[in-house]
Amino acid sequence: MGPCAATDPTNVTEPSLYLQGIPHDRFARLRARPDLAWHPYESDGFWAVSRHADVRHVSRNPELFSSAIGHTNLWDLEADALEARRSLIDTDAPDHTRLRRLVARAFTPKNIRRWESTVRAIAAELLDEFTAQGGGDWVDMVAAPLPIQVILTMLGVPTEDAAYLVELSNYLVEGTGDAQSIPPDAFGNTTDLRLLPFNSPASHALFEYGEGMRQRRRVDPQDDLVSHLVQAESEGEQISRSEYRNMFHLLVFAGNETTRTAISHGAMALAANPHEWQRVLDDPALIDSATEEILRWATPVMHMRRTATADTELAGTSIAKGDKVVMWYASANRDEAVFEDPFRFDAGRANRDHFAFGGGGPHLCLGAFLARLEVAVLLEEMAKRSIWLEQTSDPQRARSNFVHGVLSVDMRPKRAP
Amino acid sequence: MDLGEGLVPVAVDQGLCVGGGICEMLEPAVFELDDDTVISSVIGDGLLPRSRAEAVVNRCPAQAISIAEQEQ
Ligand code: HEM
Ligand code: SF4
Repeated sequence: MGPCAATDPTNVTEPSLYLQGIPHDRFARLRARPDLAWHPYESDGFWAVSRHADVRHVSRNPELFSSAIGHTNLWDLEADALEARRSLIDTDAPDHTRLRRLVARAFTPKNIRRWESTVRAIAAELLDEFTAQGGGDWVDMVAAPLPIQVILTMLGVPTEDAAYLVELSNYLVEGTGDAQSIPPDAFGNTTDLRLLPFNSPASHALFEYGEGMRQRRRVDPQDDLVSHLVQAESEGEQISRSEYRNMFHLLVFAGNETTRTAISHGAMALAANPHEWQRVLDDPALIDSATEEILRWATPVMHMRRTATADTELAGTSIAKGDKVVMWYASANRDEAVFEDPFRFDAGRANRDHFAFGGGGPHLCLGAFLARLEVAVLLEEMAKRSIWLEQTSDPQRARSNFVHGVLSVDMRPKRAP
Repeated sequence: MDLGEGLVPVAVDQGLCVGGGICEMLEPAVFELDDDTVISSVIGDGLLPRSRAEAVVNRCPAQAISIAEQEQ
């Protein structure tokens, strides 16, 4: 990226742009042009897909737009690194279908509902502590711990180890930015960092932990996700060591930063739009639409990338085999052709066709119903306690074009205005 | 066969299904995920009013559901 990336008004990848929030004006210009823009990136570039309909097209045509070639992030990984790091998210059918089925059962809407009371107990405890303390950093006190505690419970991680995995997860979040606070050999790591997810030694520690759990569950299966994966393996289904550890890693990580981001932006939106929170309090039936609106508003994952498997055409633009194609959910979720008044936070919005979980297709977020449950239950518990939020600091935003992260934002519970 | 007004038969391509369970959530009387394989299949007569059939076809992330336009 050249030195003028931040001032070039067509650039949407310069990470520092995102310190001020999503560069919506730039995306609006991309949506307004009739074709796709070729966006320079490092020594190459990608087709920037910004409209809702075009994102849907790419997302729903996985034979044309592959997840297994190069990488699903903007930059390509070298072949050995891609092989070592490949998880569900970087595969195409039939590998994808096989791996996804190993975990799909636990995440169906029907089965996710069984976790409601667990999620509610965790949310209630965090909110009670938040109010008892008179507020504080919302990310640290509520948004971050809720999803990690939920997924660790589902995986079957014993409570005494939860703090360690939370610590690992926090180091991984660092690995998505450009500052790593731990040395390459932390946690006894000897693997080349290139071969580890997020180039982080914390990934090595997470792999080791996952391997230990696998061995314990082999001899003593429980009713948890790790046991299900181990059983699938013993029942002759195909899951390799590398697939297992990348799956464990993905399950620990994928739902954390994302759900935390949704809950952080959700709190900011409710604090900034108290009349919308009033609507929810007046009519609890709006919890569902408010949840979807928070997801649209937050768009925690701002893009995913695919790679064209053949010459094709989209929006009158010729795409060549091998070209990178990047779906900007951050833009599709503000597409004025689909969402009326897209920059308004509307807790009762009827249109729920947002792409926070991707634009459809086989990679649609595995945890979508879990994330929805977490946000909805949190809203319900806030409503039950009549918690109104007042934002008392500016958010500290992540320097990232990928996750719409909030590192910290102070909130205070207040009385109804 | 007379399908009644506006009712259409739906079918699942089990090779494509990724087991997300959206069909089962939307239309529990017509779709069921197998407990072991986590693959959806059509249960009962598999008939839905066309608009609801189209909705579930559109919501299935894997394009595994289709409206089976049967030869009469
Ligand atoms: C608000 C929270 C969340 C957001 C915004 C989010 C967003 C996404 C997005 C955009 C994708 C890629 C979709 C695509 O490529 O088409 C994805 C995939 C995925 N998500 Fe989530 N996610 C969230 C929560 C979760 C949770 C709680 C889990 C729990 C385990 C999870 C697990 C996964 C997995 C495993 C994949 C890969 C699926 C595949 O490739 O088949 N996510 N998510
Ligand atoms: S919605 Fe589609 S992918 Fe999901 S379970 Fe039903 S048929 Fe399978």
